[in-house]
Amino acid sequence: MSFALTVDGLTVDFNGFKAVDNFTTTIEMGELRVILGPNGAGKTTLMDLISGKTTSTSGEVKLFGREITRLSEHQIARAGIGRKFQIPSIFRDLSVIQNLEVSASGEPSVFKNLKYSITREEKQKIEEVIELTDLSDVLKSSAGDLSHGQMQWLELGMLITQDAKVILLDEPTAGMTKQETMKTADIIKKLKGKHTILVVEHDMAFVRDIAERITVMHLGKLLAEGDIDTIEKDEAVREAYLGSGGIH
Amino acid sequence: MIENRSLAQKLDWAVYITFFVVVLCLPLLTDDVFWLNRISKFLVFGLLGLAIALSWGYAGVLNLGQGLFFGLGAYMFAMSLKLKSGTSLQQGSDKPVPDFMVWNAEPGSPTELCCIVPGSWLWLPFQSQTFGMIMAVALPILVAFVVGSAIFRLRVSGVYVAIITLALVLLVRLLIIDAQPITNGFNGLTDLGWLNLFGVEFDPYMYETYYLVAVSCCVIMLAARWLVSTRAGLILQSTRDDANRSRYLGYDVAAYQIFFFVVSAAIAGFAGMLYVVAAEFASPTFLDISFSISMVVWAAVGGRSSLIGAVIGAVLINSIEASVSETEIFKEAWKLIIGVIFIFVVLLLPRGIAGVARDFARWLEDSYLQSTSKRG
Amino acid sequence: MVHRMANILFIGLSLSSILLLIALGLSITYGAMGVINMAHGELVMIGAYTAVLSGLYLNLNLFLALPLAFLVSAGVGLAVERVIIRQLYGRIIDTLLATWGVAILLQQLIRLEFGLSFFGIHVDGLGPGFQSFPIPAFLSENFDILGFTVQPYRSFIIVLTIALTFLTWFLMYRTSLGTQVRAIMRNPQMAAACGIDVNRISAWTFAYGSGLAGVAGVLLAGFKAVLPNMGESVVVDGFLVVVVGGVGSLFGTLLSAAVLGQINGVFAILTNDIVARAIVFGVVIFLILLRPNGLFGFKSR
Repeated sequence: MSFALTVDGLTVDFNGFKAVDNFTTTIEMGELRVILGPNGAGKTTLMDLISGKTTSTSGEVKLFGREITRLSEHQIARAGIGRKFQIPSIFRDLSVIQNLEVSASGEPSVFKNLKYSITREEKQKIEEVIELTDLSDVLKSSAGDLSHGQMQWLELGMLITQDAKVILLDEPTAGMTKQETMKTADIIKKLKGKHTILVVEHDMAFVRDIAERITVMHLGKLLAEGDIDTIEKDEAVREAYLGSGGIH
Repeated sequence: MIENRSLAQKLDWAVYITFFVVVLCLPLLTDDVFWLNRISKFLVFGLLGLAIALSWGYAGVLNLGQGLFFGLGAYMFAMSLKLKSGTSLQQGSDKPVPDFMVWNAEPGSPTELCCIVPGSWLWLPFQSQTFGMIMAVALPILVAFVVGSAIFRLRVSGVYVAIITLALVLLVRLLIIDAQPITNGFNGLTDLGWLNLFGVEFDPYMYETYYLVAVSCCVIMLAARWLVSTRAGLILQSTRDDANRSRYLGYDVAAYQIFFFVVSAAIAGFAGMLYVVAAEFASPTFLDISFSISMVVWAAVGGRSSLIGAVIGAVLINSIEASVSETEIFKEAWKLIIGVIFIFVVLLLPRGIAGVARDFARWLEDSYLQSTSKRG
Repeated sequence: MVHRMANILFIGLSLSSILLLIALGLSITYGAMGVINMAHGELVMIGAYTAVLSGLYLNLNLFLALPLAFLVSAGVGLAVERVIIRQLYGRIIDTLLATWGVAILLQQLIRLEFGLSFFGIHVDGLGPGFQSFPIPAFLSENFDILGFTVQPYRSFIIVLTIALTFLTWFLMYRTSLGTQVRAIMRNPQMAAACGIDVNRISAWTFAYGSGLAGVAGVLLAGFKAVLPNMGESVVVDGFLVVVVGGVGSLFGTLLSAAVLGQINGVFAILTNDIVARAIVFGVVIFLILLRPNGLFGFKSR
């Protein structure tokens, strides 16, 4: 069996506070994994560590068997990890289509990007994403003028044109209406299989809708792992959530 | 949705073409060579506005020390032209030595460039005009690369970039003033010779020099325009909006910032060289803070995110300044007005003249589209 | 040798003091409101001219000119805040640019004698030429104690700076007003949500910082020619001190003014003024590169 992402003994120590503590998990190719955990469990920090925003104190991260722990953010991105932030992070002063053109360039070098042309594959990728995210009516608008939901979908779309093998999603439905949440779930479901996805999410309805396997974190450590029924019955998980009112 | 913002783009090109036509046809309309010389200097300032727009508008990096690159370019080339000047040939000697070195030399030192004053050997290669020309662009590029690498690799951003570049231009200005024996200190390099290219002498008050400056200016504008419309230019703008997003898309943000910082420096260095050809001097005032901030003013008034807007802003402000500068009191009053205009622009027109023009074009277009859709 | 060293350090200390007074005001306006006030140097200049004019027309001496200059500069600062800066909060680079326009405006108003020179009217104490401000005789004559030369005016500067620094510290850390200012520094939205009148407090803070600039101007007038453009170099120095010290840190500003002033003083004597300033700039660039948040800064805004 081939693993897309292997996290092994990952630890980060902020002046004595271990936000992520000896965390280990493996994610299969094409899997959709949800990470749950009460506030302060270390979910976002885990994403920071995988994507290179924060440097780990010890442990390692492997992407398709290749060690990426010590690479810088853009190298990790080039290796195949895409990240979506909780607050939509897009290029607000560029148009929607320009946002996608930036993300679609398979070429990181400055000098090789000194050209106008877009390859046919890039163009095709962009068109697919526009259809998937339903942004065709606003292609020429500034990304900053989009609705909150559209911004989130644009950011998701950029990860797809970027051709990220593993996508990290940090609360993709935060602040969304019911309809928007449903549409987001649809988009994510369509990505299943083609991309390996790691989602941090609080909305249990959403989690039940999309999740296959769930990993629960507590105080930086792995608490439980399994399918949704196992997790909901798990005693340790109930215990951890008691303080914050249980799983909703 | 159909391409409905085309008028603004067409307007952009129309402005470029009009600008080129006007600039290149100007000598046909006048035989006032002094006036033409003045305009050529303003075109050089236009290039400085362009360099600022490139780094500020497109990269989001406000460089308050652009005068450093302009000054370096100017000094490098002025050194070559100084050695070609008649004032550098003492008593019919055929080995040039700058006059100020002779005045400053210790009694008894040999009247040779190698050793007349300590450090004067640095001038030796500048006997070649080509060397001076190359250095006028190469040195700014080198300095910008080193400084840019330090700033952007360490992820210094925003106001701190402005403060570092500001301190840097002041630092170099002091070094130039302090190296008085080889730079002529506060007085700078004056009484320069003329540029000689392919046998043509560029007298600053002749049409040739105007055309040299005007054509260079147009070519650089087109090149810069091309640069920002490439994928690399688009990625650069993305780093301005959200550097972290660009990083997580796999771009080495610092590399893009350094590249465009260097391009901007190279343009400023080249502008310094052209200025020396037209104005026949180089001075530490090129590295004054007020000059560097003036460049930012030109770009802001013209439109910080429009290359041609910044060029027009620079030419316009300097032309008005020149026309009111005939008397001392009006000159001072003009400075006051510039202060007021600048406050006004920052408060009310943050996108400058270019922004107003674009909004106007969009408004025209929208009302046109509305009227046609009503009819149809 | 010891005496010479002491003298050098003493001169450095008085340079540090002026730097600190200028930087103190900037540190407050920059730290509390995220405003880069390029016209701060012109507020110093206005303080100096207030001293000159009050000496000429009102016959006020140094000690009366100090509070007057504080009020005048504070008033001008308040006006600038109300009319211009208020509209630019959160746009830090724009505050830099707009206040640069203000700086030119103020300089030209003094140079053109408020426009009166257009009508051929000359006002003594204004105009493009330099002015001087006499300091009381008992402060200008050096005397010796145990072989150390004491320069009373420089000593006065140091003492006054210490007093004003202490006052600022007291206002910021021991009064409820100061607590509100520090709350705004850390998080303006949250401060507003807690019922702090951010607009009013910001205006008063800005006025206070401007007033300190006025005081620095009077002290500068005591040993430097007073000129319309005297503020230009001052504001850059002040900013470098604030940034190196760390935005919003009073102690950082104090330390950085002391260090940069001493470096300037010591190298000015070992080499010359020009090289000394160049070294200061070099040190500053290096420090900002290494610690962009300053020696004692916190991340904010």
